[in-house]
Amino acid sequence: MSTWLNRGVGFAVPLLIAFLVSAVVLLAIGENPLDTFSLMLTEGFGSPRRFASTLSAATPLLFTAVGTAICFRAGVFNVGVDGAFLIGGLAAVVAGFSLPAGLGWALVPICLTIAAVFGAAWLFIPGWLLAKLQVDEVVSTLMLNFIALAITGYLVNGPFLSRQSGNNVTPPVHEAAELSRLMPPATLHSGFLMALVVLVAYAFWTRRTPAGLEGAWVGLNRRFSRVVGVSVERTIILAMVLSGVVGGLGGAAHGLGQLHRFTDGFSAGYGFTGMAVALLAHNSPLGMLIGAVLFGALASAGTTIQLFSDIPLDLVNIIQGIVMIFAVIELGRITIRRRAKA
Amino acid sequence: MIEQVLASGVVLTTPILLAAIGGLVNRQAGIVNIALEGKMLAGAFVAIVISAATGSWLIATVTAALVSMVIGWGFSLTITRLGANMITAGLGLNVLAAGSIGFLMSYAYGSSGTLRLPDVALLPHVFPASVEGLPVVGQLLANLDPLTILAVLSIAVLPFLLGATRFGLWIRATGNAAPVMRSVGLNPKLLQEASTAFAGFFAGLAGAQLALASIGIFNEGLTAGRGFIALAAFYFGRDRPWQTAAACLLFGLLDAAQIRMQTVGLPPRLIGALPYLMVLVALVVSQMRSLRRTQ
Repeated sequence: MSTWLNRGVGFAVPLLIAFLVSAVVLLAIGENPLDTFSLMLTEGFGSPRRFASTLSAATPLLFTAVGTAICFRAGVFNVGVDGAFLIGGLAAVVAGFSLPAGLGWALVPICLTIAAVFGAAWLFIPGWLLAKLQVDEVVSTLMLNFIALAITGYLVNGPFLSRQSGNNVTPPVHEAAELSRLMPPATLHSGFLMALVVLVAYAFWTRRTPAGLEGAWVGLNRRFSRVVGVSVERTIILAMVLSGVVGGLGGAAHGLGQLHRFTDGFSAGYGFTGMAVALLAHNSPLGMLIGAVLFGALASAGTTIQLFSDIPLDLVNIIQGIVMIFAVIELGRITIRRRAKA
Repeated sequence: MIEQVLASGVVLTTPILLAAIGGLVNRQAGIVNIALEGKMLAGAFVAIVISAATGSWLIATVTAALVSMVIGWGFSLTITRLGANMITAGLGLNVLAAGSIGFLMSYAYGSSGTLRLPDVALLPHVFPASVEGLPVVGQLLANLDPLTILAVLSIAVLPFLLGATRFGLWIRATGNAAPVMRSVGLNPKLLQEASTAFAGFFAGLAGAQLALASIGIFNEGLTAGRGFIALAAFYFGRDRPWQTAAACLLFGLLDAAQIRMQTVGLPPRLIGALPYLMVLVALVVSQMRSLRRTQ
């Protein structure tokens, strides 16, 4: 019971601080914060179509949040889900336009598998380096993000550049490779359902499988895990690889479902927003669902609000940044370190 | 050709070097500063606004540094006093800084992305234009600005400051053994806050140099990951001033050469990733070495 209360407080406090600060900002520019927030609420959730676009914006965040949480709960500070998202997204899209369209319904699963493999391989690198050589994963995954950005940026402007549509985009994927739209004309696509499946699988993995339990042990206490016979190395690599699979699938869903191609600037910081969601939720599946929908609503409402009022869309980034700064107070490593100090 | 690469390489090195100086001192005190990027961006923005308002590059530069210093100090409080995690809080500060600046730009100036203000005073050149006639280094000297000189001087005195002054030793002791600091009656938190403020100050200088060295226009993408290149540099240099400076120079020259390598057919995007790849390789090599030593 008290853990639920703790989690609720951990979820609410950073959001509260963020909304207080943005209320002050809004007051400073002469807007009524209550009006703005209620407008955001209606724009985010007010009608089925608006709700659909909120869910559509939440889809990539669900993937990146789960991808991040898999590592965070194992005490692996992976900030590289954004890179896996890019690599997986490009791999899926390239498969989606270069494989023969005649494959029909089989095309989507093939593309998803390819994306998962690429994402897994991408984060296997820092996982292996951490497990075998103790190479600091924060730095390695951060650097790999930039490398992923450079590689995909090069490929989308070079070998995979669309001949028809000019700059920075690949050709569109075959129609058969597109994920179906759930409520046309809204962009909500079946990638959202995939994200829910991934979330449920994560919940099952963390609570009902030995590997998931071992992951939590390694996150809480590496030495203890080693003593009771858990292979810390294997757990770390597994967490990274699974994180890469989920990140890669997220990129695939975004590419095949939302954009139908790969573009320069494919990930609008989804990896980092997803990290904010995972932190806010303290890796709990339900919390991540709520958090992702909330940030999805912010993103989709922010766009409309900018159209109809003087409030810049950047308010969303202010909120996200504050949440990230204040959401992290109880993260695994820190609690351990603080306990050791006390 | 070499003259041009050298001259533009040095100009491109300065902001990385200034930011890396702050970052390395910060890391010696035990804080990995991921938020250099955001603080550079804030510094650049403030520098442009103040320079346009006052017409003085000096006031603009100092204000930029002070503003970033306050941001850095406030940011360090969330880590030292509230127990926030330095990595996610740092990434959060980058998002927050970019968001706040974007917000200010569209609200106060009605512009999105780029800010052009009239009468921005640029950094002066230290030497008279006549030095351009000198061989090899002529162009470099003619373009030299005061902040580049400040960066070089700072790097020159930093080993002394860190190794032979009381304050420098405190900083290093904080990063290596905080309990020892406490046991001799000093507060490691205060030193971490001071070092983060110091990093903010230098990141602000870096931003000012970026904004005022040649173009005098602010753009949301002005820093373009240079805060992270600085991070890469002090990781590559293992927090040692001279090694870090050498890494910065290497990355700066690489940046300058990348425009030219394009004509040879090397893709610029891939060359831009080289610093990050080099850090990764350097980390792997140094870990392999230290593991072998312990075995």
